Amino acid sequence: MQVSIYRYIPGKDTEPRMQHYDYVLPDDRDLMVLEVLEDLKAKDPSIGYRRSCREGVCGSDGMSINGRNGLACKTPVSEAISRDKLMLRPLPGLPVIRDLIVDMSQFYRQYERVDPFLKNDTAKPAQERLQSQEDRKKLDGLYECILCACCTTSCPSFWWNPDKFLGPAALLQSYRFLADSRDTATEERLSKLDDPFSVFRCRGVMNCVNACPKDLNPTKAINEIRTLLVKNGT
Amino acid sequence: MKDARPVFLDLLAIRLPLPAAVSILHRVSGVLLFLASLYLLILLASSFGNETEFDQLKWDLGSPIHSTILWATLSLLSYHFVAGVRHLLMDLHIGESLKAGRIGSVLVLIVSLVLSVLCGVWIWL
Repeated sequence: MQVSIYRYIPGKDTEPRMQHYDYVLPDDRDLMVLEVLEDLKAKDPSIGYRRSCREGVCGSDGMSINGRNGLACKTPVSEAISRDKLMLRPLPGLPVIRDLIVDMSQFYRQYERVDPFLKNDTAKPAQERLQSQEDRKKLDGLYECILCACCTTSCPSFWWNPDKFLGPAALLQSYRFLADSRDTATEERLSKLDDPFSVFRCRGVMNCVNACPKDLNPTKAINEIRTLLVKNGT
Repeated sequence: MKDARPVFLDLLAIRLPLPAAVSILHRVSGVLLFLASLYLLILLASSFGNETEFDQLKWDLGSPIHSTILWATLSLLSYHFVAGVRHLLMDLHIGESLKAGRIGSVLVLIVSLVLSVLCGVWIWL
């Protein structure tokens, strides 16, 4: 198999380039893309990428794998490979720091904008804020996000308006707190989203759902926010 | 320093799933429809002059070029309408899952293709 990696080393490269490596896959087992990268890095230590847990929890190794965003540690080579080639590029739309490492500042800024924490202005309980099982179930499919940015960086609306459109990851988190029965800041949260760009730039392309390594559905969450905005009289 | 950083955004190297292609074509068809409407307005204006110009336009519209443009415009309108209905259904929380999104996209292509063929039948037969 030929592995092609997007290379850009600041100070050394003036333009990004693709570097090609030959890699012999084992016959007896499938590998994850991250394992291939680890092997290549052992031979060429100059390759730069992020990784940590290698089991789809930390969300560090999001990248474009043969044109589709995903986590290298959770993507089997057998699923990603196309015509005996594996093309690894950084997440689209974000500035490249080095090779497969991108600057996530814009992504985090949008995440920060949705106040991703519980707001409750009622008196503090003695122990904890309780929630019925039905209300807790409403958070399933929302809280599991690991902020890998695979969804947001696959979204054309985010590519064109990264500073105005919040992007699928931030909006999923926004709805996670809008849907939480313990959160009392619904009006405040909705008023912050009430403009033509923050939510309504989503065109239902569904690249986010296609890319999410945790099988979450930001498109559905965004539609729920839109419904709330309409019901709220905006 | 930050401005010098490259950004990977080569659309030819990014695999877009079918719902994305359908959505992008919805935009493209909208722009082309806008241009086509200018063409139709010019034709309409030319029919207002006098009886001779009106008859000339009627004759011209039967030509292969004009009828092809008319068919293309109606096909674009069909696609734009059907894809738009899909968006409206999604606003009503219908077809939000990835599987439903894919099925919906295939349906948009099939229905608009059928409408396009029917438009051709209406114009040429």
